[in-house]
Amino acid sequence: MAEPLLKVEAVSKSFGGLKAVNDVSFRMEQKEVLGLIGPNGAGKTTLLRLLTGILKPDSGSVQFKGKELVGRNIWNIVNLGVACTFQNMRPFRRLPIIANVMVSCLSPRSHGKGEWIKKVETKAMDALEFAGISDMALEKASVLSQGDLKRLEVARAIASDPELLLLDEPFGGLSPAETDLMAKSIRRLHKGGRFGRLHSEGPAMIIVEHKLQQLMKIVDRIIVLNFGTLLAEGAPEEIVNNPQVIEAYLGKGGDQ
Amino acid sequence: MNILITGLITGSMLALLAIGFSLIFGVARIINIAHTAFYMVAAYCIFFLSIRLGLNPFLSMLIAVTLVTVTGLVVYKLVIDPIREHEGAVLIATIALAMFLQEVILQLFTGDYRSIDFMIGGFFTIGGYKIFYQQLLTFGVVLIILLALWFLLMKTRLGLAIRSMAEDREVANLMGMNESRLAMITLAISVALAGITGVVIGPLMVLNPHMWEDPLIIMMAVVVLGGLGSIKGSFVAAFILGFTEALVVFLVPTGAFLKGPVALIIMILVLLIRPEGLFGVAFEEER
Repeated sequence: MAEPLLKVEAVSKSFGGLKAVNDVSFRMEQKEVLGLIGPNGAGKTTLLRLLTGILKPDSGSVQFKGKELVGRNIWNIVNLGVACTFQNMRPFRRLPIIANVMVSCLSPRSHGKGEWIKKVETKAMDALEFAGISDMALEKASVLSQGDLKRLEVARAIASDPELLLLDEPFGGLSPAETDLMAKSIRRLHKGGRFGRLHSEGPAMIIVEHKLQQLMKIVDRIIVLNFGTLLAEGAPEEIVNNPQVIEAYLGKGGDQ
Repeated sequence: MNILITGLITGSMLALLAIGFSLIFGVARIINIAHTAFYMVAAYCIFFLSIRLGLNPFLSMLIAVTLVTVTGLVVYKLVIDPIREHEGAVLIATIALAMFLQEVILQLFTGDYRSIDFMIGGFFTIGGYKIFYQQLLTFGVVLIILLALWFLLMKTRLGLAIRSMAEDREVANLMGMNESRLAMITLAISVALAGITGVVIGPLMVLNPHMWEDPLIIMMAVVVLGGLGSIKGSFVAAFILGFTEALVVFLVPTGAFLKGPVALIIMILVLLIRPEGLFGVAFEEER
Protein backbone atom coordinates (compact mmCIF):
# COMPACT_ATOMS: atom_id res chain seq x y z
CA MET A 1 0.00 0.00 0.00
CA ALA A 2 1.36 3.33 -1.04
CA GLU A 3 2.52 5.90 1.48
CA PRO A 4 0.08 8.81 1.73
CA LEU A 5 1.38 12.06 0.24
CA LEU A 6 0.68 13.99 3.40
CA LYS A 7 0.09 12.65 6.88
CA VAL A 8 -0.91 15.18 9.53
CA GLU A 9 -1.06 13.72 13.00
CA ALA A 10 -2.43 15.29 16.18
CA VAL A 11 -1.17 18.76 15.27
CA SER A 12 -1.89 21.54 17.77
CA LYS A 13 -0.98 25.21 17.91
CA SER A 14 -1.95 27.79 20.52
CA PHE A 15 -1.59 31.55 20.52
CA GLY A 16 -1.63 32.58 24.16
CA GLY A 17 -4.69 30.87 25.59
CA LEU A 18 -6.37 30.36 22.23
CA LYS A 19 -6.12 26.94 20.68
CA ALA A 20 -6.03 27.90 17.04
CA VAL A 21 -5.47 24.36 15.83
CA ASN A 22 -6.35 21.59 18.26
CA ASP A 23 -5.35 17.98 17.72
CA VAL A 24 -6.01 17.86 13.98
CA SER A 25 -5.18 14.72 12.00
CA PHE A 26 -5.81 13.89 8.37
CA ARG A 27 -4.22 12.21 5.38
CA MET A 28 -3.96 13.04 1.72
CA GLU A 29 -3.31 10.76 -1.22
CA GLN A 30 -1.24 11.56 -4.30
CA LYS A 31 -2.93 14.05 -6.64
CA GLU A 32 -5.91 14.43 -4.35
CA VAL A 33 -7.64 17.80 -4.18
CA LEU A 34 -8.77 18.60 -0.71
CA GLY A 35 -11.05 21.44 0.32
CA LEU A 36 -10.48 22.98 3.74
CA ILE A 37 -13.47 24.92 5.01
CA GLY A 38 -14.78 26.31 8.24
CA PRO A 39 -16.23 29.50 9.72
CA ASN A 40 -14.01 32.53 10.20
CA GLY A 41 -11.35 31.96 12.82
CA ALA A 42 -11.62 28.19 12.60
CA GLY A 43 -7.86 27.84 12.17
CA LYS A 44 -7.68 27.13 8.43
CA THR A 45 -4.93 29.60 7.61
CA THR A 46 -3.06 28.62 10.77
CA LEU A 47 -3.18 25.00 9.65
CA LEU A 48 -1.74 25.93 6.24
CA ARG A 49 0.99 27.94 7.92
CA LEU A 50 1.87 24.94 10.05
CA LEU A 51 2.23 22.82 6.92
CA THR A 52 4.58 25.30 5.22
CA GLY A 53 6.75 25.77 8.28
CA ILE A 54 5.95 29.47 8.80
CA LEU A 55 4.59 28.40 12.17
CA LYS A 56 5.91 25.56 14.28
CA PRO A 57 3.24 23.35 15.86
CA ASP A 58 3.26 22.98 19.65
CA SER A 59 2.82 19.25 19.24
CA GLY A 60 2.05 16.66 16.59
CA SER A 61 3.73 15.67 13.37
CA VAL A 62 3.43 16.50 9.67
CA GLN A 63 4.85 14.00 7.23
CA PHE A 64 5.19 14.69 3.53
CA LYS A 65 6.13 11.66 1.44
CA GLY A 66 7.35 9.98 4.62
CA LYS A 67 9.55 12.91 5.65
CA GLU A 68 8.90 14.85 8.82
CA LEU A 69 8.30 18.54 8.08
CA VAL A 70 8.13 19.82 11.66
CA GLY A 71 11.44 21.41 12.59
CA ARG A 72 12.56 21.98 9.02
CA ASN A 73 13.33 25.41 7.61
CA ILE A 74 10.72 27.03 5.41
CA TRP A 75 12.92 26.91 2.31
CA ASN A 76 13.67 23.29 3.00
CA ILE A 77 9.99 22.43 2.92
CA VAL A 78 9.50 24.30 -0.34
CA ASN A 79 12.33 22.32 -1.84
CA LEU A 80 10.65 19.09 -0.84
CA GLY A 81 7.72 20.15 -3.01
CA VAL A 82 5.21 22.07 -0.92
CA ALA A 83 4.20 25.48 -2.25
CA CYS A 84 1.56 27.93 -1.08
CA THR A 85 -0.23 31.12 -1.99
CA PHE A 86 -1.27 33.87 0.39
CA GLN A 87 -4.78 34.86 1.30
CA ASN A 88 -3.85 38.54 1.15
CA MET A 89 -1.45 38.63 -1.74
CA ARG A 90 2.12 39.50 -1.04
CA PRO A 91 3.94 40.14 -4.31
CA PHE A 92 7.41 41.69 -4.40
CA ARG A 93 5.95 45.03 -5.37
CA ARG A 94 9.18 46.60 -6.51
CA LEU A 95 10.12 43.75 -8.81
CA PRO A 96 8.71 43.19 -12.29
CA ILE A 97 6.07 40.50 -12.51
CA ILE A 98 8.35 38.14 -14.35
CA ALA A 99 11.01 38.54 -11.63
CA ASN A 100 8.40 37.70 -9.01
CA VAL A 101 7.94 34.32 -10.61
CA MET A 102 11.63 33.86 -11.34
CA VAL A 103 12.39 33.92 -7.63
CA SER A 104 10.36 30.71 -7.34
CA CYS A 105 12.30 29.16 -10.18
CA LEU A 106 15.57 29.81 -8.35
CA SER A 107 14.90 27.24 -5.66
CA PRO A 108 17.13 24.17 -6.05
CA ARG A 109 13.97 22.14 -6.58
CA SER A 110 12.85 23.67 -9.82
CA HIS A 111 16.13 23.91 -11.67
CA GLY A 112 19.51 22.31 -12.05
CA LYS A 113 22.14 24.36 -10.23
CA GLY A 114 24.09 26.84 -12.28
CA GLU A 115 21.38 27.37 -14.84
CA TRP A 116 21.62 30.69 -16.63
CA ILE A 117 19.16 33.39 -15.80
CA LYS A 118 17.73 33.30 -19.34
CA LYS A 119 16.54 29.75 -18.82
CA VAL A 120 15.03 30.70 -15.48
CA GLU A 121 13.21 33.48 -17.28
CA THR A 122 11.75 31.04 -19.80
CA LYS A 123 10.43 28.83 -17.03
CA ALA A 124 8.91 31.79 -15.26
CA MET A 125 7.28 32.87 -18.51
CA ASP A 126 5.70 29.42 -18.84
CA ALA A 127 4.17 29.78 -15.41
CA LEU A 128 2.90 33.27 -16.23
CA GLU A 129 1.42 32.05 -19.46
CA PHE A 130 -0.36 29.33 -17.61
CA ALA A 131 -1.75 31.84 -15.14
CA GLY A 132 -2.78 34.07 -18.05
CA ILE A 133 -0.82 37.22 -17.18
CA SER A 134 2.20 36.76 -19.42
CA ASP A 135 1.38 39.92 -21.39
CA MET A 136 2.14 42.00 -18.32
CA ALA A 137 5.40 40.23 -17.50
CA LEU A 138 7.58 43.34 -17.54
CA GLU A 139 5.32 45.62 -15.51
CA LYS A 140 5.94 46.21 -11.84
CA ALA A 141 3.85 43.94 -9.65
CA SER A 142 2.30 46.95 -7.96
CA VAL A 143 0.13 47.72 -11.02
CA LEU A 144 -1.79 44.44 -10.95
CA SER A 145 -5.48 44.25 -10.11
CA GLN A 146 -6.77 42.06 -7.32
CA GLY A 147 -7.62 39.23 -9.68
CA ASP A 148 -4.30 39.39 -11.48
CA LEU A 149 -2.46 39.38 -8.16
CA LYS A 150 -4.20 36.10 -7.36
CA ARG A 151 -2.98 34.79 -10.68
CA LEU A 152 0.51 35.96 -9.89
CA GLU A 153 0.33 34.10 -6.58
CA VAL A 154 -0.62 30.94 -8.43
CA ALA A 155 2.11 31.43 -11.04
CA ARG A 156 4.69 31.86 -8.31
CA ALA A 157 3.51 28.79 -6.48
CA ILE A 158 3.48 26.48 -9.49
CA ALA A 159 6.85 27.77 -10.70
CA SER A 160 8.53 25.99 -7.81
CA ASP A 161 7.14 22.79 -9.32
CA PRO A 162 5.27 21.57 -6.23
CA GLU A 163 3.77 18.19 -5.53
CA LEU A 164 1.50 19.69 -2.94
CA LEU A 165 0.00 23.10 -3.56
CA LEU A 166 -1.67 25.02 -0.74
CA LEU A 167 -4.10 27.67 -1.98
CA ASP A 168 -5.39 30.10 0.62
CA GLU A 169 -8.67 31.58 -0.64
CA PRO A 170 -7.85 31.60 -4.35
CA PHE A 171 -11.27 33.13 -5.09
CA GLY A 172 -11.16 35.68 -2.28
CA GLY A 173 -12.04 39.18 -3.46
CA LEU A 174 -12.59 38.09 -7.07
CA SER A 175 -15.57 38.98 -9.22
CA PRO A 176 -17.76 36.07 -10.38
CA ALA A 177 -16.10 36.15 -13.82
CA GLU A 178 -12.62 36.14 -12.33
CA THR A 179 -13.64 33.35 -9.98
CA ASP A 180 -14.71 31.23 -12.95
CA LEU A 181 -11.40 31.84 -14.68
CA MET A 182 -9.44 30.94 -11.58
CA ALA A 183 -11.49 27.79 -11.03
CA LYS A 184 -10.78 26.77 -14.60
CA SER A 185 -7.06 27.38 -14.11
CA ILE A 186 -7.02 25.26 -10.99
CA ARG A 187 -8.83 22.39 -12.70
CA ARG A 188 -6.51 22.59 -15.66
CA LEU A 189 -3.51 22.67 -13.37
CA HIS A 190 -4.77 19.60 -11.60
CA LYS A 191 -5.08 17.68 -14.82
CA GLY A 192 -1.50 18.63 -15.69
CA GLY A 193 -0.70 18.24 -19.37
CA ARG A 194 -1.20 21.82 -20.49
CA PHE A 195 1.55 22.93 -18.17
CA GLY A 196 3.54 19.97 -19.30
CA ARG A 197 7.02 21.40 -19.35
CA LEU A 198 7.03 21.77 -15.63
CA HIS A 199 4.49 19.17 -14.66
CA SER A 200 4.07 15.69 -15.96
CA GLU A 201 1.11 15.47 -13.62
CA GLY A 202 -0.78 18.10 -11.69
CA PRO A 203 0.05 18.58 -8.03
CA ALA A 204 -2.14 17.58 -5.12
CA MET A 205 -3.87 20.57 -3.60
CA ILE A 206 -5.38 21.83 -0.40
CA ILE A 207 -7.74 24.70 -1.08
CA VAL A 208 -9.07 26.96 1.66
CA GLU A 209 -12.14 28.75 0.40
CA HIS A 210 -15.37 30.36 1.49
CA LYS A 211 -17.06 30.28 -1.90
CA LEU A 212 -18.34 26.76 -1.38
CA GLN A 213 -20.27 26.38 -4.61
CA GLN A 214 -17.15 26.92 -6.68
CA LEU A 215 -15.05 24.85 -4.34
CA MET A 216 -17.38 21.85 -4.55
CA LYS A 217 -16.78 21.58 -8.28
CA ILE A 218 -13.03 21.27 -7.88
CA VAL A 219 -12.37 19.15 -4.84
CA ASP A 220 -12.44 15.40 -4.29
CA ARG A 221 -12.90 15.61 -0.55
CA ILE A 222 -13.53 18.24 2.08
CA ILE A 223 -12.45 18.61 5.67
CA VAL A 224 -14.19 21.04 7.98
CA LEU A 225 -12.53 22.87 10.84
CA ASN A 226 -14.40 24.57 13.66
CA PHE A 227 -12.71 26.26 16.62
CA GLY A 228 -9.47 24.58 15.66
CA THR A 229 -10.79 21.03 15.73
CA LEU A 230 -11.65 18.72 12.88
CA LEU A 231 -15.44 18.74 12.65
CA ALA A 232 -16.11 16.57 9.63
CA GLU A 233 -14.41 14.93 6.70
CA GLY A 234 -15.91 13.48 3.55
CA ALA A 235 -17.06 13.87 -0.04
CA PRO A 236 -18.53 17.27 -0.94
CA GLU A 237 -22.13 15.99 -1.05
CA GLU A 238 -21.84 14.45 2.40
CA ILE A 239 -20.39 17.60 3.85
CA VAL A 240 -23.15 19.92 2.66
CA ASN A 241 -25.74 17.68 4.22
CA ASN A 242 -23.87 17.10 7.46
CA PRO A 243 -26.00 18.62 10.28
CA GLN A 244 -22.95 19.45 12.38
CA VAL A 245 -21.43 21.42 9.54
CA ILE A 246 -24.63 23.29 8.85
CA GLU A 247 -24.85 24.11 12.54
CA ALA A 248 -21.27 25.38 12.65
CA TYR A 249 -21.90 27.66 9.70
CA LEU A 250 -25.42 28.86 10.51
CA GLY A 251 -25.62 28.47 14.26
CA LYS A 252 -28.04 26.23 16.12
CA GLY A 253 -31.61 26.62 14.93
CA GLY A 254 -31.13 30.04 13.40
CA ASP A 255 -30.29 33.06 15.54
CA GLN A 256 -32.27 32.61 18.72
CA MET B 1 35.87 72.72 -9.59
CA ASN B 2 37.15 71.57 -6.22
CA ILE B 3 33.59 71.25 -5.12
CA LEU B 4 32.80 69.11 -8.11
CA ILE B 5 35.73 66.76 -7.56
CA THR B 6 35.27 66.47 -3.83
CA GLY B 7 31.56 66.02 -4.29
CA LEU B 8 32.02 63.24 -6.79
CA ILE B 9 34.57 61.42 -4.68
CA THR B 10 32.72 61.80 -1.40
CA GLY B 11 29.51 60.85 -3.14
CA SER B 12 30.92 57.71 -4.67
CA MET B 13 32.51 56.68 -1.39
CA LEU B 14 29.21 57.23 0.42
CA ALA B 15 27.42 55.29 -2.30
CA LEU B 16 29.63 52.24 -1.80
CA LEU B 17 29.29 52.41 1.96
CA ALA B 18 25.57 53.05 1.97
CA ILE B 19 24.77 50.36 -0.57
CA GLY B 20 26.70 47.80 1.46
CA PHE B 21 24.89 48.91 4.57
CA SER B 22 21.51 48.79 2.80
CA LEU B 23 22.14 45.35 1.36
CA ILE B 24 22.76 43.61 4.64
CA PHE B 25 19.94 45.50 6.30
CA GLY B 26 17.58 44.54 3.52
CA VAL B 27 18.42 40.86 3.42
CA ALA B 28 19.11 40.08 7.05
CA ARG B 29 17.58 43.06 8.91
CA ILE B 30 20.97 43.68 10.50
CA ILE B 31 21.75 47.31 11.27
CA ASN B 32 25.48 47.07 11.07
CA ILE B 33 26.99 49.94 13.03
CA ALA B 34 30.39 48.31 12.51
CA HIS B 35 30.04 48.76 8.75
CA THR B 36 32.29 51.81 8.57
CA ALA B 37 34.64 50.23 11.12
CA PHE B 38 35.40 47.62 8.49
CA TYR B 39 36.14 50.45 6.13
CA MET B 40 38.62 51.82 8.64
CA VAL B 41 40.22 48.41 9.13
CA ALA B 42 40.66 48.09 5.38
CA ALA B 43 42.34 51.49 5.20
CA TYR B 44 44.73 50.49 7.98
CA CYS B 45 45.36 47.15 6.30
CA ILE B 46 46.52 48.91 3.20
CA PHE B 47 48.62 51.27 5.25
CA PHE B 48 50.30 48.33 6.97
CA LEU B 49 50.78 46.27 3.84
CA SER B 50 51.98 48.93 1.44
CA ILE B 51 53.87 51.30 3.75
CA ARG B 52 55.16 49.07 6.53
CA LEU B 53 55.74 45.94 4.47
CA GLY B 54 56.36 47.77 1.25
CA LEU B 55 54.16 45.52 -0.87
CA ASN B 56 52.87 46.54 -4.26
CA PRO B 57 49.90 48.83 -3.64
CA PHE B 58 47.53 46.87 -5.91
CA LEU B 59 48.50 43.58 -4.31
CA SER B 60 47.93 45.16 -0.89
CA MET B 61 44.51 46.33 -2.04
CA LEU B 62 43.57 42.79 -2.94
CA ILE B 63 44.89 41.34 0.31
CA ALA B 64 43.25 44.07 2.39
CA VAL B 65 39.81 43.51 0.88
CA THR B 66 40.08 39.73 1.24
CA LEU B 67 41.26 40.04 4.82
CA VAL B 68 38.45 42.38 5.80
CA THR B 69 35.84 40.19 4.13
CA VAL B 70 37.07 37.07 5.89
CA THR B 71 37.13 38.93 9.21
CA GLY B 72 33.57 40.04 8.56
CA LEU B 73 32.40 36.50 7.87
CA VAL B 74 34.14 35.06 10.92
CA VAL B 75 32.69 37.74 13.15
CA TYR B 76 29.25 37.13 11.67
CA LYS B 77 29.43 33.40 12.34
CA LEU B 78 30.77 33.81 15.87
CA VAL B 79 28.94 36.87 17.14
CA ILE B 80 25.93 37.78 15.04
CA ASP B 81 24.53 34.46 13.85
CA PRO B 82 23.83 33.03 17.35
CA ILE B 83 21.72 36.09 18.24
CA ARG B 84 20.11 36.70 14.84
CA GLU B 85 16.58 36.34 16.26
CA HIS B 86 17.01 39.36 18.54
CA GLU B 87 17.36 42.45 16.38
CA GLY B 88 18.13 44.72 19.34
CA ALA B 89 20.91 42.47 20.54
CA VAL B 90 22.39 42.37 17.04
CA LEU B 91 22.40 46.17 16.92
CA ILE B 92 24.20 46.38 20.26
CA ALA B 93 26.64 43.68 19.21
CA THR B 94 27.59 45.61 16.08
CA ILE B 95 28.18 48.77 18.15
CA ALA B 96 30.43 46.76 20.44
CA LEU B 97 32.16 45.30 17.43
CA ALA B 98 32.87 48.76 16.00
CA MET B 99 34.39 49.90 19.30
CA PHE B 100 36.35 46.67 19.54
CA LEU B 101 37.84 47.17 16.09
CA GLN B 102 38.67 50.76 16.96
CA GLU B 103 40.52 49.67 20.11
CA VAL B 104 42.40 46.95 18.25
CA ILE B 105 43.57 49.48 15.67
CA LEU B 106 44.46 51.89 18.46
CA GLN B 107 46.62 49.21 20.11
CA LEU B 108 48.29 48.15 16.90
CA PHE B 109 48.92 51.50 15.25
CA THR B 110 48.51 53.99 18.15
CA GLY B 111 46.30 57.04 17.78
CA ASP B 112 48.75 58.86 15.52
CA TYR B 113 47.47 60.23 12.26
CA ARG B 114 48.74 58.22 9.33
CA SER B 115 48.66 58.71 5.64
CA ILE B 116 49.07 56.42 2.68
CA ASP B 117 51.09 57.35 -0.38
CA PHE B 118 49.19 57.82 -3.59
CA MET B 119 49.20 54.68 -5.66
CA ILE B 120 49.93 56.62 -8.78
CA GLY B 121 51.62 59.94 -8.39
CA GLY B 122 51.21 62.96 -10.58
CA PHE B 123 48.38 65.19 -11.64
CA PHE B 124 47.13 67.13 -14.58
CA THR B 125 45.47 70.48 -14.73
CA ILE B 126 42.19 71.57 -16.23
CA GLY B 127 41.56 75.28 -16.29
CA GLY B 128 44.11 75.84 -13.56
CA TYR B 129 42.76 73.17 -11.25
CA LYS B 130 44.90 70.26 -10.17
CA ILE B 131 43.40 66.82 -10.55
CA PHE B 132 45.49 64.07 -9.05
CA TYR B 133 45.63 60.77 -10.86
CA GLN B 134 44.87 59.14 -7.53
CA GLN B 135 41.55 60.94 -7.43
CA LEU B 136 40.76 59.69 -10.91
CA LEU B 137 41.78 56.17 -9.92
CA THR B 138 39.58 56.24 -6.83
CA PHE B 139 36.62 57.53 -8.78
CA GLY B 140 37.20 55.05 -11.59
CA VAL B 141 37.40 52.05 -9.27
CA VAL B 142 34.26 53.14 -7.48
CA LEU B 143 32.39 53.45 -10.78
CA ILE B 144 33.53 50.02 -11.91
CA ILE B 145 32.49 48.48 -8.60
CA LEU B 146 29.12 50.21 -8.75
CA LEU B 147 28.56 48.94 -12.29
CA ALA B 148 29.60 45.42 -11.32
CA LEU B 149 27.26 45.59 -8.37
CA TRP B 150 24.41 46.76 -10.53
CA PHE B 151 25.03 43.88 -12.90
CA LEU B 152 25.19 41.42 -10.03
CA LEU B 153 21.93 42.64 -8.53
CA MET B 154 19.91 43.12 -11.69
CA LYS B 155 21.18 40.45 -14.03
CA THR B 156 22.12 37.39 -12.03
CA ARG B 157 20.21 34.79 -10.08
CA LEU B 158 22.02 35.71 -6.89
CA GLY B 159 20.99 39.32 -7.37
CA LEU B 160 17.38 38.36 -7.90
CA ALA B 161 17.47 36.25 -4.74
CA ILE B 162 18.94 39.16 -2.81
CA ARG B 163 16.38 41.61 -4.12
CA SER B 164 13.46 39.35 -3.32
CA MET B 165 14.79 38.64 0.14
CA ALA B 166 15.24 42.35 0.74
CA GLU B 167 11.64 43.01 -0.14
CA ASP B 168 9.85 40.32 1.82
CA ARG B 169 11.86 37.80 3.75
CA GLU B 170 8.99 35.51 4.63
CA VAL B 171 7.67 35.26 1.09
CA ALA B 172 11.16 34.71 -0.29
CA ASN B 173 11.63 31.89 2.21
CA LEU B 174 8.36 30.40 1.09
CA MET B 175 9.62 30.41 -2.45
CA GLY B 176 12.56 28.28 -1.47
CA MET B 177 15.24 30.88 -0.79
CA ASN B 178 17.76 29.71 1.78
CA GLU B 179 17.78 32.68 4.10
CA SER B 180 20.84 31.95 6.19
CA ARG B 181 23.03 31.13 3.21
CA LEU B 182 21.89 34.26 1.43
CA ALA B 183 22.58 36.32 4.55
CA MET B 184 26.14 35.00 4.61
CA ILE B 185 26.74 35.84 0.96
CA THR B 186 25.21 39.28 1.33
CA LEU B 187 27.28 39.97 4.41
CA ALA B 188 30.41 39.04 2.50
CA ILE B 189 29.45 41.41 -0.33
CA SER B 190 28.54 44.15 2.10
CA VAL B 191 31.78 43.93 4.10
CA ALA B 192 33.81 43.62 0.92
CA LEU B 193 32.21 46.87 -0.30
CA ALA B 194 33.22 48.57 2.95
CA GLY B 195 36.71 47.16 2.49
CA ILE B 196 36.97 48.34 -1.10
CA THR B 197 35.83 51.79 -0.04
CA GLY B 198 38.54 51.83 2.60
CA VAL B 199 41.33 50.85 0.25
CA VAL B 200 40.44 53.18 -2.60
CA ILE B 201 39.68 56.18 -0.45
CA GLY B 202 42.48 55.55 2.07
CA PRO B 203 45.22 57.34 0.10
CA LEU B 204 43.07 60.48 -0.08
CA MET B 205 42.39 60.53 3.64
CA VAL B 206 44.20 60.87 6.91
CA LEU B 207 43.95 57.66 8.87
CA ASN B 208 43.12 57.55 12.55
CA PRO B 209 41.27 55.05 14.70
CA HIS B 210 38.21 57.28 14.90
CA MET B 211 37.85 57.78 11.17
CA TRP B 212 34.83 55.44 11.08
CA GLU B 213 32.59 57.73 13.10
CA ASP B 214 32.07 60.58 10.64
CA PRO B 215 31.21 58.45 7.63
CA LEU B 216 28.92 56.33 9.79
CA ILE B 217 26.69 59.31 10.55
CA ILE B 218 26.71 60.58 6.99
CA MET B 219 26.12 57.08 5.65
CA MET B 220 23.09 56.71 7.91
CA ALA B 221 21.80 60.02 6.60
CA VAL B 222 22.28 58.70 3.06
CA VAL B 223 20.37 55.53 3.80
CA VAL B 224 17.54 57.43 5.44
CA LEU B 225 17.37 59.97 2.63
CA GLY B 226 17.43 57.29 -0.03
CA GLY B 227 14.91 55.11 1.71
CA LEU B 228 15.80 52.17 3.93
CA GLY B 229 16.59 49.11 1.87
CA SER B 230 16.43 50.87 -1.49
CA ILE B 231 19.68 50.50 -3.39
CA LYS B 232 18.78 53.01 -6.06
CA GLY B 233 17.86 55.42 -3.27
CA SER B 234 21.19 54.94 -1.52
CA PHE B 235 22.99 55.63 -4.76
CA VAL B 236 21.16 58.88 -5.53
CA ALA B 237 21.21 60.07 -1.93
CA ALA B 238 24.94 59.38 -1.64
CA PHE B 239 25.71 61.87 -4.37
CA ILE B 240 23.24 64.41 -3.01
CA LEU B 241 24.92 64.27 0.38
CA GLY B 242 28.38 64.05 -1.15
CA PHE B 243 27.84 67.34 -2.95
CA THR B 244 26.12 68.88 0.05
CA GLU B 245 29.13 68.01 2.13
CA ALA B 246 31.52 69.45 -0.45
CA LEU B 247 29.47 72.66 -0.65
CA VAL B 248 29.39 73.05 3.10
CA VAL B 249 33.10 72.41 3.46
CA PHE B 250 34.13 74.80 0.72
CA LEU B 251 31.61 77.59 1.00
CA VAL B 252 30.91 77.91 4.71
CA PRO B 253 33.67 79.19 6.97
CA THR B 254 34.89 76.37 9.24
CA GLY B 255 32.53 74.20 7.25
CA ALA B 256 34.60 71.07 7.85
CA PHE B 257 33.21 70.98 11.38
CA LEU B 258 29.66 71.35 10.14
CA LYS B 259 29.41 68.41 7.76
CA GLY B 260 28.24 66.02 10.49
CA PRO B 261 25.53 68.35 11.80
CA VAL B 262 24.36 69.13 8.26
CA ALA B 263 23.99 65.42 7.52
CA LEU B 264 22.05 64.95 10.73
CA ILE B 265 19.80 67.91 9.94
CA ILE B 266 19.04 66.41 6.55
CA MET B 267 18.31 63.08 8.19
CA ILE B 268 15.93 64.64 10.70
CA LEU B 269 14.18 66.68 8.02
CA VAL B 270 13.68 63.56 5.91
CA LEU B 271 12.31 61.66 8.88
CA LEU B 272 9.87 64.50 9.59
CA ILE B 273 8.72 65.19 6.06
CA ARG B 274 9.05 61.92 4.20
CA PRO B 275 10.01 59.10 6.55
CA GLU B 276 10.17 56.54 3.78
CA GLY B 277 12.91 58.52 1.99
CA LEU B 278 13.19 59.20 -1.73
CA PHE B 279 12.71 55.67 -3.01
CA GLY B 280 11.61 53.79 0.07
CA VAL B 281 8.38 51.92 0.49
CA ALA B 282 6.00 53.49 2.97
CA PHE B 283 5.99 51.57 6.21
CA GLU B 284 2.26 50.90 6.05
CA GLU B 285 2.87 48.62 3.14
CA GLU B 286 5.29 46.45 5.05
CA ARG B 287 4.06 43.70 7.26
